[in-house]
Amino acid sequence: MNRIETSIDNIKTDIRKFYNPVLHHFMVVNAVDFGNTIEVQWFFCDYAPPCAITVFCTQIQPEIEIPSIVDIVASAWVAEAELVDLMNIRIENTAKGFVLEPDFESGPLRKKK
Amino acid sequence: MGKRYEIPLGAQHISLLEPLHFKFTTENEKIIDTVANVYYVHRGIEQACCSKFKFRQVSFVVGRVCGLCSISHTTAYSQVAEKLVKIEIPRRAKYLRMLVIELDRIHSHLLCLSHVAENSGFEALFMKTMQYREFSMELLEAICGNRIQYDFSIVGGVARDLKPQVGMQILERLKIFKLQLDELVDIYQNNWTLSLKNKGAGAITKEDAMRLNVVGPFARAAGLAMDVRNETEDLLPWKEVGFEMITDTAGDVHARNMVRLRELYVSMRMIENIINGLPESAIITETKAFPDGEAVIRLEAPRGELFYYAKGNKTQILERLKIKAPTFSNVSAMVEAFKGNEYGSVPAIIASYDPCLSCTSR
Repeated sequence: MNRIETSIDNIKTDIRKFYNPVLHHFMVVNAVDFGNTIEVQWFFCDYAPPCAITVFCTQIQPEIEIPSIVDIVASAWVAEAELVDLMNIRIENTAKGFVLEPDFESGPLRKKK
Repeated sequence: MGKRYEIPLGAQHISLLEPLHFKFTTENEKIIDTVANVYYVHRGIEQACCSKFKFRQVSFVVGRVCGLCSISHTTAYSQVAEKLVKIEIPRRAKYLRMLVIELDRIHSHLLCLSHVAENSGFEALFMKTMQYREFSMELLEAICGNRIQYDFSIVGGVARDLKPQVGMQILERLKIFKLQLDELVDIYQNNWTLSLKNKGAGAITKEDAMRLNVVGPFARAAGLAMDVRNETEDLLPWKEVGFEMITDTAGDVHARNMVRLRELYVSMRMIENIINGLPESAIITETKAFPDGEAVIRLEAPRGELFYYAKGNKTQILERLKIKAPTFSNVSAMVEAFKGNEYGSVPAIIASYDPCLSCTSR
């Protein structure tokens, strides 16, 4: 797994430089809660064997809004909408309520304090 | 411009097997826009796996993510956990995992095909396909003890060995199924009514499949040669047992049917090779290590690429487990592929996607 550490300011530029829909397959956006910070991870995989996996990672504060990559990867809206509900983080142009009902506990995958 | 109507479909509908909801905007019966809601069954399995269960128990929990592709989930999880505890499983266990995965693919593909037939109005073919599918369920029960949710892959290997008489039984039943499959291929390929209904319906291009990151038979029917079995040789030796990539170009319901049917021949050949070349060894590698670090695994489930991410912290409880099911990747393309089609084709198109919302929502 090829891990690329980046920052919230550079994430879109880095993914735009890297991603070519003919060469790469977008898999998912994931997040890991470390308590005070959250690591957001964008996973890609090469189409051509040996199909190396590349993951862009950035650490964020929970209240920070992260940019959407839908203008680069059209299908990313599903993964972004899921992350907004399950991790209770803010993503540009992504509303809550796609995965969970409005009266459900927000961010069930976040660490309990 | 014709009159526009908004037509809701689901979450419970006679042509839907899964709890999903579509809202179609139609103009003169043609679909011009679609909105999808796919999250009706969120069960919090990822959270449960990281709080209520020890990492060895998690393989049994993720087996409940999906009834149809249970073996794919338990195997993918077991592989990611094995990476975290840094063990290599015995060669016989790898072969037995592939055996159950391919038998599972046979029953899953036949289920999908039967529902495409049913939703196309061909009830007799639905029943015939389901009847022919039964042998795979019986064989899975003979190997694993269960018809679904097998709990076969566990961290370190597999839970049961294959009895020689069951191996012989599988080979005998495959000979019968080969003739039945030839018959099914003939009907799905050449039946005039079915072809008329399915050719051109719900089509996507290879370019759209790449742009929307489609996976599984949905992608391969559009000409995108993407199959995890073609890529990862380190964990399960797919090519060694005869894996072959199947693709089509039309990208429509008919092409998806044909890709699934042709993949059944490949699965049968792989199963025969697995049984005839089954290595002699233990079926499990024991370890007392705790998961540490992070790892990802991709595995070709019947519906496409299954992705598992796990992070360990040297305790019995995982720090994070992320599951990405194949249908999750296909949601965007599912919405797109309706556009321009007649509303009457919707049931067959939905069935041809082979959606699994149980996996998607987990």
